[in-house]
Amino acid sequence: MIANPFFVLGLPPDTSRIELEREAQKLLGMLELGFADARMYATPLGPQPRTAEAVRAAVAALRDPYQRLVAELWARHAPSEAVAAEPEPPTAGVPGLRAKLGWR
Amino acid sequence: MWAAPFLILFRVQRAALDARRRDRTWRYFAWSLLGGAIASMLIASVALAVAVLVGAQLWWLAVLLIAVAGVPVVQPLLLRHVIVPQGWYRVAFLLGHIGTARDSDADALVYAAWALSRKPTPSGEAWVAARRDRRKPLGDAEVVTTALLVAARGDAEAARMLLRSTLDLVELHPAVRELAGEWLACDAAERGAWHELAGDASAARFPATPLTFFLEGVAGARIGAGPARGELYARWLLAPHRRATYALLAVPIATSAPAAQPAAEPATPSPEHPPLPRAVAAHLALSRTRVDAPRFAAAVAAWDVALADAGTRAWLARRALELDAPLGAAERAVRDVTTTITDELARVADARALGAPPSRGPIGAPLARRLRHGRLDALESAFNRWADRRHAGDVRSPVDEWREFVALRAAYEAAASAGGLDLRRLAFPHAYKTGTSMAVWLWNSRDEYALSHAISAWLGGEARTVGDAEAIEVCGRNVRLAVPTRTGRVVSR
Repeated sequence: MIANPFFVLGLPPDTSRIELEREAQKLLGMLELGFADARMYATPLGPQPRTAEAVRAAVAALRDPYQRLVAELWARHAPSEAVAAEPEPPTAGVPGLRAKLGWR
Repeated sequence: MWAAPFLILFRVQRAALDARRRDRTWRYFAWSLLGGAIASMLIASVALAVAVLVGAQLWWLAVLLIAVAGVPVVQPLLLRHVIVPQGWYRVAFLLGHIGTARDSDADALVYAAWALSRKPTPSGEAWVAARRDRRKPLGDAEVVTTALLVAARGDAEAARMLLRSTLDLVELHPAVRELAGEWLACDAAERGAWHELAGDASAARFPATPLTFFLEGVAGARIGAGPARGELYARWLLAPHRRATYALLAVPIATSAPAAQPAAEPATPSPEHPPLPRAVAAHLALSRTRVDAPRFAAAVAAWDVALADAGTRAWLARRALELDAPLGAAERAVRDVTTTITDELARVADARALGAPPSRGPIGAPLARRLRHGRLDALESAFNRWADRRHAGDVRSPVDEWREFVALRAAYEAAASAGGLDLRRLAFPHAYKTGTSMAVWLWNSRDEYALSHAISAWLGGEARTVGDAEAIEVCGRNVRLAVPTRTGRVVSR
């Protein structure tokens, strides 16, 4: 899911093939020049680092109609915003108590 | 003749301490107060006698009197507050012999391990381990010693498992069990496992030290089944480390039974929540939230609905046409997605020891098959490795044999609790065949009676759960054998 080609390219699933190619070239150029904006991409599981290899692999996958179909199935139906991580519940215990009571 | 009253008082004090171990009612306080009063009288008598001897210039006799009559009375205090915190494991070993005349080596070994665990050193560990390995056959003291050494290395989970495993050993040293129970109580309090601690208290699994008794009261107060406030204060007063435990007394949180798990949301499709986005969202949530059985079941049910949904398949077929995908691409995509999802959910279930979900759709059915077969295969190969080792003549130390059995049993229990009675019925024959063979070998060839008895007792319990008549008969016969231990022969009824 986090390596979905649409997420890597930062494009919606209904993007045309020409737009995909154009965006891939633009991202490769930005990565080559070291633009900070291009270094990360958003996924429903939070931001992930973007590399030139990942961009090339993404655009190659989307050229294949079958792989694009599978990628669309995930990307089209994923939540638009990152799923928030559930905070750890407050512990009802006493950290370090064992040592305070004479045990390791 | 002058020693007679002293010996009587000493004997009464031991009786009071033994009675305290058995009782968790008001008698606990009565015996504790009696024990304390007698100890005070003994100390006062010794102090008086020492003063008289010093006055008479009999220094050597005064020192002898302190060693013979004074140290035994204050031994528990000396150990807990001086020797153990300093990590003086050799002194702890020597002093540990004073508490009882019956297999005092057992108590001494555990006190030494406790002291070493406070300031662990490789040479100290080798010293304690050598003394432990010299004692045969295996009993509760060797297991508790190993657990404390493991805890000293920072592996609290393994220590917890080992200490709890002493409940299966018929050899019983009260002081050893007391210390095991105290470690478990402190550990439970540290983790906030108040229900676990209250369960141990109500079942009286371990004899209680004053500290354990207080922590049990705190656990009861926190789950809404505790003693009265006055009694909790009394327990606190009797327990050591009052400064460290005062905070527990000051913040009683009375919550009743553990909060019920929210029921899994039904995975019924609705116009507002189409099945596929709902399934994808439930799937993603598994990697961002604490996964429990209801959440897991909800995700599986959502996928079952989504992949069987006519709307999903129609969308895939239409989109395959639009993309000019090869013939059959939509069906292939469903198959590939099914495999990917099943793989990911199986990994989640294995990591969290979750059982097969009730839903039996395109994801639920293969997932249940995969979990059952995977767990059975893993158990079978683990039991086979155990049997192969014995046939290959790879003999391990008794405590390592015990650790292997405890680990195997934990794996079996985890698989069985996740897979239900069906999986238990399928797994039991492997466990029974290997376990019985090992139990016979340990009893006949290695004289490890308590270890062998524990394996047979566990297999007998499992045999009753799955209803295996032959296994019930065989294990029952093995369990009824009198087990020779260092504290006497034990016959299970």
